Amino acid sequence: MKVDGHETEAAGTLLDVILALGIDLPHLCKDDNLPPIGACRTCLVEADGRIVAACHTPAAAVQEVQTRSVRAIELRQAVLRLTARMHGREPDVSGGPRSGELWAAYAAHGLERPSYPSRPRSAVDLSSPFFEFHEEPCILCGRCVVACQQLQHIGAIGIAGTATSARVTAGAAVAFAESACTACGSCVAACPTHALRPKPLRATHRPGDARGEEG
Amino acid sequence: MSNAPAFALPRRARLLPLLVERHREHGFLDRGSVEHIARQLGMPVAEAWEAAASMTEFHFEPVRGERSCAGLACSLRPGWREPTLPAGCLFRCYEPPASGDERPFPLEMVRRSGPLLAPCDQTWAGLERARNLGPAVALEELERSGLRGRGGAFFPTAAKWRAALSRGRPLALVLNAEEGEPGVFKDRALLCLRPERVLEGLGIAMQVLQPAVTIAFINGAAEPAAAAFERALAASPIAGDVLVYRGAGGYVLGEETALLNAIEGRRAVPRPRPPLPVEAGLFGMPTVVNNVETMAAVSFIIREGAAAFRELGTAHAPGTRILSVSGRVSRPGVYEVPMGTLLSDVVVEAGGAGDSSTALLCGGPSGGFLPWDLAATPILPGRYHPTGAMLGAGGVVVLDWSSDIRRAALTMAAYNAEQSCGKCTPCREGAPLLLELLGSGRTAEVDELADVLQHASLCGLGQMAPGPVRSALEFWSGVFV
Ligand code: SF4
Ligand code: SF4
Ligand code: FES
Repeated sequence: MKVDGHETEAAGTLLDVILALGIDLPHLCKDDNLPPIGACRTCLVEADGRIVAACHTPAAAVQEVQTRSVRAIELRQAVLRLTARMHGREPDVSGGPRSGELWAAYAAHGLERPSYPSRPRSAVDLSSPFFEFHEEPCILCGRCVVACQQLQHIGAIGIAGTATSARVTAGAAVAFAESACTACGSCVAACPTHALRPKPLRATHRPGDARGEEG
Repeated sequence: MSNAPAFALPRRARLLPLLVERHREHGFLDRGSVEHIARQLGMPVAEAWEAAASMTEFHFEPVRGERSCAGLACSLRPGWREPTLPAGCLFRCYEPPASGDERPFPLEMVRRSGPLLAPCDQTWAGLERARNLGPAVALEELERSGLRGRGGAFFPTAAKWRAALSRGRPLALVLNAEEGEPGVFKDRALLCLRPERVLEGLGIAMQVLQPAVTIAFINGAAEPAAAAFERALAASPIAGDVLVYRGAGGYVLGEETALLNAIEGRRAVPRPRPPLPVEAGLFGMPTVVNNVETMAAVSFIIREGAAAFRELGTAHAPGTRILSVSGRVSRPGVYEVPMGTLLSDVVVEAGGAGDSSTALLCGGPSGGFLPWDLAATPILPGRYHPTGAMLGAGGVVVLDWSSDIRRAALTMAAYNAEQSCGKCTPCREGAPLLLELLGSGRTAEVDELADVLQHASLCGLGQMAPGPVRSALEFWSGVFV
C-alpha cells in the first residue's frame, strides 16, 4: 500500500501504519495500549477516496492513503474546532502543560480561525487523595474510561448521560473517593488533557511527614 | 427477560431487564437500586450506571403527569401547546394529538394491505416448509427473493445471514423491534396485528442460522405490541426459545452496535466498525440483526416462494414496503405498497393536498424534506434527493410548507441534537450548533457544519442529521432568514 506516496506494508490499522512511517496525525482518543474507541474523530484520512477514521480502519483492504489531502485536512480542522468548544486555555498546572497532543493538533491545523461558541462545563472532583478531576478541559475522548474498565478491570468510572449531558462519572454519580477507585492512576496516565491531573505533591502535605510547616 | 430459558449469556446481559423491571415498579431509578443491581450481577457500579444513564427514557427522579407528544404530526394540530412532559414521539401520529400510554394499533389504520399486513392463516406452513427444505435450500430461496433489510439500510438479508454463518458458531440472532424513529409505526402495526407472521419469519431464521441465542428487542414504550408478540410467541412452535428484551429509548438504538451494547448491559453507544455485527456482535458472537418487517417478508418468501415475492416491486428492490403516513392527510395510517410505487400516489391516496403547498418529510430526522414537484418519484431504497429525503424506515409526514416547514426543520434538528448519544465529538458538539444556526437564521454557516457532521461522525445518526436542515434550506431558504 501507499501512504502519502510512500510504499509500505499493510499491517494493523491505518493509524498504526501512518505512525510507523513517522507521519504526524492527531489521534486524541486512541491510546497506544488500548483498543480504538472512535470518539474524537481527529484521525480522519482519505483512504482510496473515502474519508475514514484511521484508528479503526484495518490497513489490509486499503491501497492508498492520503493524510494531507485538502479534504482530510479540512475535515480534521472542522472536528478540532468542535473539540475546542469544550475547553478553555491551558492553565498553569503543576508539572507543566498536560494537553500537548491537543495543542499540537491545533497548531498543525492552523486553528487561528474563530472557534465555535464555547460550551463551558465546570464540575470539579478533588476527593481522591492522588489526583483531581476538572471537567472543564475534558474532551470526552473516553480514554480514561477504557483504561479503568478494560486495562485495569476496575470499572470505577464511566461516561454517564447522553448528548451534551455526557460526562465522566465515578460509580453511580458519586465522588471518586466514594467509588471503587483504587487510585491506580491509569486514567490520569491515559488522559490527553489536564482534566485528570495528579494532585500537587508538596512536601508539607506529604502523608506521614512529621516536619510540616505547622510542626 | 420473560420466561427466561437457560441461555448461557454473561450475567451482565441481565442488566437492562433488571433496570427495566425496577423502573416499572418505582417509576424511576435511584442510585441505590442501580448499585444493588450491579452487585447482584457482579459488575462494576459505574458500568451499570453509565448503561442506565444512556437510555433516554429512564428517569432518575420521580416524575408526575402524563406524557404528551411533541412530535411533528401532533404539533400540527390547531391548539397544540408545548407539553410539560414532552415526548419526542408517541408513535400514534395517525391519531393526533397523542398523549399517555401506547394503545393497540387500530386495524382501521391499515389503509392499504399487502402480503405482510394481510391476515395470517393461523398455521405455521412457512416454518414447516423451511424444515422440509433444510437450512441450505431455504437460504437459497431467500437469496433468490432478493430481499433487502427493511430497517432502513436495505442490506441484502441472505448475504447478511451467510456472512454470519461463514464465521461459524455460536451465533446470535436479534429481532429488532425497537422502532424508535418519530413518525414510524409500521413495526407496531405488524406486531399488534400480525405477530404470527413476524414469529414465523423469526422461526425460519432460527432454522437456517441455528443461533445459540435469539433475542426479540421490543421498544420499551410499545406495551401493546410487546403483549401481542409475547402472546403469539407463547402459542408458537418457538415458544421458550426466544428471549424478549424491552428497551428504554434512544434513537441511537437504530444503530445495530448500540443495540448490542444495550443488550450486553453496556452504555448504549455505537462501537467502531469493523468488526461488523455479523463478524463479531453480541458478546463477540457473529450476530444477525433483522427488523420486524424483514422477518415478516421472510415468512412470505418461504411460504409462497421467491418468485411470488419478486412479482411485487422492482428487479432491484423486490417486494413491498410499509409506509407510515401522517401529518396533513385525511387518511393517515400504514400503507403497504409494492416497491417502485410513486410516492406522490400514496400521498394522494392518503388524502394529502398534493399541490404546490405540499412538503413531505421522508425518512424522519435522518431523512429530509421534499417539495411536491419532486414527489412523483418511485419508492425505492436510497435517497429521493441528495439533500436528505429518503425512504429509510418508511416514515412520510405530509406538511404545508408555508405554515409548517420552519417548525418541522427545527423539530428535527432539535431531535437529533437531543438524541445524540454523546460519544463522538462532531455529533455531540455539532448537532446542537446546527439547531442554533438554523434557529437564528445564520444559514450561511450551515454548510461547513453539515459537512463535518456527515463525514466525520461515528454513526448514521450524526452522519444523517444534516438532512432535514439541508433540504429545508435547499427548497425554502427564505423561511429561515
Ligand atoms: S477525563 Fe481525560 S481521558 Fe477522560 S474523557 Fe476527559 S479528556 Fe478523555
Ligand atoms: S454520530 Fe452521534 S449518535 Fe452516533 S456515535 Fe456519534 S454522538 Fe453518538
Ligand atoms: S483517534 Fe480515531 S477517532 Fe479518535
